[in-house]
Amino acid sequence: MTGDDAPLEDTAEDLFEHAPCGYVSTRMDGTIVKVNRTFEQWTGWRREDLVGARRLQDVLAPGGRIYYDTHIAPLLMMQQEVRGIAVEVLRADGGRAPALISSVVRADADGRPRVIRTSVFDASDRRRYEQELLRARRHEQEIAQELQRSLLAGELPADDALELEVAYRPAVRGLDVGGDWYDAFWLREGERVALVVGDVVGRGIGAAAAMGQLRSASRALAATVAGPGPLLEALDEYARRHRVGRMTTLVCAELDLRTRELRYACAGHPPPVALDPRAEPELLWEGRSLPLDAHHAVIRPRAEGERRLAAGSAVALYTDGLVERRRRTLDEGFDRLLLELDRRREEPLERIAAGLMRTLADPDDADDVCLLLARLR
Amino acid sequence: MTVRRRNNVVEHGPPDAQPMLFAHGFGCDQHMWRHVWPAFADTYRVVLFDHVGAGGSDLGAYDRRRYDSLKGYADDVLEICGELRLERVVFVGHSVSSMIGVLAAAAEPERFERLVLVGPSPRYVDDEGYTGGFSREDIEGLLESLESNYLGWSSAMAPVIAGNPERPELGEELTNSFCRTDPEIAAQFARVTFLSDNREDLPRVRTRALVMQCANDAIAPEPVGRFVHARLPHSELALLEATGHCPNLSHPEETVATIKAFLAT
Repeated sequence: MTGDDAPLEDTAEDLFEHAPCGYVSTRMDGTIVKVNRTFEQWTGWRREDLVGARRLQDVLAPGGRIYYDTHIAPLLMMQQEVRGIAVEVLRADGGRAPALISSVVRADADGRPRVIRTSVFDASDRRRYEQELLRARRHEQEIAQELQRSLLAGELPADDALELEVAYRPAVRGLDVGGDWYDAFWLREGERVALVVGDVVGRGIGAAAAMGQLRSASRALAATVAGPGPLLEALDEYARRHRVGRMTTLVCAELDLRTRELRYACAGHPPPVALDPRAEPELLWEGRSLPLDAHHAVIRPRAEGERRLAAGSAVALYTDGLVERRRRTLDEGFDRLLLELDRRREEPLERIAAGLMRTLADPDDADDVCLLLARLR
Repeated sequence: MTVRRRNNVVEHGPPDAQPMLFAHGFGCDQHMWRHVWPAFADTYRVVLFDHVGAGGSDLGAYDRRRYDSLKGYADDVLEICGELRLERVVFVGHSVSSMIGVLAAAAEPERFERLVLVGPSPRYVDDEGYTGGFSREDIEGLLESLESNYLGWSSAMAPVIAGNPERPELGEELTNSFCRTDPEIAAQFARVTFLSDNREDLPRVRTRALVMQCANDAIAPEPVGRFVHARLPHSELALLEATGHCPNLSHPEETVATIKAFLAT
């Protein structure tokens, strides 16, 4: 160094004392042995209050104190270094200063760890920014949930001859809503009812909006076509033309309350279950075809299945979250569903729905789960 | 899914010797015992494992309901004992695993010969007539700390091979194990750990036990260690010179010597 720079930059002491970050040196148990001027100025602590008198943990907010003892200290002893840990430093005036700390362990000549050097960076702005991002993310999540709720709202058909029950559990983990939906509406009041359960690919506001479009489209189109197969064809056309809900899976069913005739069609969707009060529950494997707009082409005709239900029977429509679970095959999922339905076939629908959701829906799964039960009375 | 795989069970020492089962506490994994277990591997069948959600355990086996209380973790300990056919077990538990060991020993007393409890606390939150050392707000603060350190976690814990240049896999091992702390699992484990109350379970234990109490342990202060000793019927109290909450890492020699002295009596 030459000229005017020399006197300041030549002293290690000045480099230490007035570094652009706080420095705190501690013994291995956290007892503070040295701090720099920057740390003093920033936190309001004087070094005589700290050195030999307090541990670094003691000037952290309580949550950070536990975190220090359960994470930072053991890590330092195991890997001699931690970087970029977010903590809050307790200032002398009782305020809290968000900080990022990094620490290294220095050993003596015999290799025994002796001292921990910690640099402390002011992270107030960064923390504010992170909180804003988090808030924005939560806000978006709330909008999506609200959107989803409003799209699923609306009364279900009620009739002396028909009992309906729905259960919907939004994804437990993660922040996004999924695109599962259920719907039930009269095709002819008191005579024929349409039942739909679907699953739009993707998550978040986009998936919720696509779900709303397809749900409305299925209601509108169902009035113009004759049966679940043609309804799927019309939805296929709709999805392709409006570029919405590609690869959506759904099951459409039509139940005639007088003849007990059930017609159904599954576009890449798990099969409905027929629940006869006097027989074992049965997966309805007919009427299968690909998801909507699967090959950018309308599939025609869409296969349909038919079944005459016994008096007092119920039918269950659901999304894959009910039968798919990590570490379990789909067959096992179906077996468990049938077993649960069998055990509960005489219970009120409300209890069946609650029981299935409780025992089958994976509490840790990221997927939402949707269930629609309809029973003839 | 075997229990071995689920809990990342690692064994050392003669397989036909008396088993010594080491259980790590909240925040870290079985590496917490790295300076302790080798001292016992000559004479004991040393069994190390990770709680589900920590270290090299199978995260897919995490079940929010099972692990909603310490009982789920105690059941895992018993399952490990069952699968490995461990009898006359010396159970060594650090921090929250002390209470996990207490629950396991109370449930299957015939399985355990000794309990070594390092920094135990039956309840962390203060209660009427009881000082655990923490308030509920403190625990909320911890959850915030966990949340704000979730993103930085993987890059923060860069492998440090310094001091072990001949064993580069050590750095890899550490990075992997410490980065695998799923933030949501960590948050639930924190709640279960710091909000549980096992004071009533202590008198149910019939197993001989050693309570190891550090000086200046902010997580489990000395009055708490004395409380555990007073309520555990067949217990001894060892006051360590070691400070802090992790004597197994900071003072392994004293930790080993104290355990050996207890096992020799």
